[in-house]
Amino acid sequence: MKITFKIQKFSPENDSKPSYKEYTVEAQPNSTILDCLNDIRWHYDETLSFRRSCGHAICGSCAMNINGKNGLACQTHVQDLKPGTITVRPLPSFPVIKDLVVDLDKFYEKFNKIKPYLINDGPVPEKERLQSPEQQKLIEESTTCILCAACTSSCPSFWADDEYLGPSALLKAYRYIFDTRDTAAEERLSVVNDKHGVFRCHTIFNCNEACPKEINITNHIAKLKTALVTTKL
Amino acid sequence: MKKNVYELKYRYHTGTVAWILHRLSGLALVLYLVLHIWVISNLNSPEGFNKVMAFLNQPLFKLLELGLWGVIIYHAINGLRIILVDFFGGSKSQKKIFWGVVVVGIIVFIAGAVPFIGNIK
Repeated sequence: MKITFKIQKFSPENDSKPSYKEYTVEAQPNSTILDCLNDIRWHYDETLSFRRSCGHAICGSCAMNINGKNGLACQTHVQDLKPGTITVRPLPSFPVIKDLVVDLDKFYEKFNKIKPYLINDGPVPEKERLQSPEQQKLIEESTTCILCAACTSSCPSFWADDEYLGPSALLKAYRYIFDTRDTAAEERLSVVNDKHGVFRCHTIFNCNEACPKEINITNHIAKLKTALVTTKL
Repeated sequence: MKKNVYELKYRYHTGTVAWILHRLSGLALVLYLVLHIWVISNLNSPEGFNKVMAFLNQPLFKLLELGLWGVIIYHAINGLRIILVDFFGGSKSQKKIFWGVVVVGIIVFIAGAVPFIGNIK
């Protein structure tokens, strides 16, 4: 079947603002958007820029806005989209470097703010630090995040406030705060309890809709809110 | 580098709609409260009071009052939904809760609107 793609193109050297370009390619119903983008780059327009790496929804490189919703190009199949032209744009609210490639520096900066690594000053055990299955369950869902930025870029609170930590960083904060092996929960909670922190979340659920790993991000942010409110009391 | 701005073209879903309505109803309530305080702060004499009441008795204001009733109901009941989502694990079933808000809201609206309309004369 023939599929028409409408892709946002922008080259900072030549363009003052982004424009759309249309490409028609031959695709199977089970082709992914990434397959089609590769086809376009290899056969129609070698200047088309986008990030991709693993092609199996685990590296998180190919997050983009497909038909108005953020997701991974390698995980989105043609047959699951509305029939007709498929519109592909870079992730909203990040600066565009070229075409579908966005600048994620600030995204990673926020990620670093919540100290995304294990902190434990206690004595080092002989083997590993053990957790019970129940303790692991608490953080299991949050550990499946692949840092693709689809959630943060879909969040209206982030659109309005560039400094907002965003769903991705908050999810990672949850992952360490509720990790029983970690001892820096209070430190992280104070980072999260900021003007640009957890209370900027207005439970809009765009992040949940966008997450390619189907993580209930809003639920994790809600747990952080509850933790902050109850410790303050 | 410039921000990539076209957020308003982002696809809407239940959560987005609930949020936008909550924001708009909140703004409407603020506007109403300001107007309300302004009007009652101008009621200085019995004649003035009667004049203002006669003015507010027009059908247009009755209609606006019905609208106000609807706005208050949505903002109050969706506020409960947000509390459920934030503190009682409601995020897993937020869409169902939203439709619950709509159904309960309509029932409460009608329950209040029927006697209200009956009193208009």
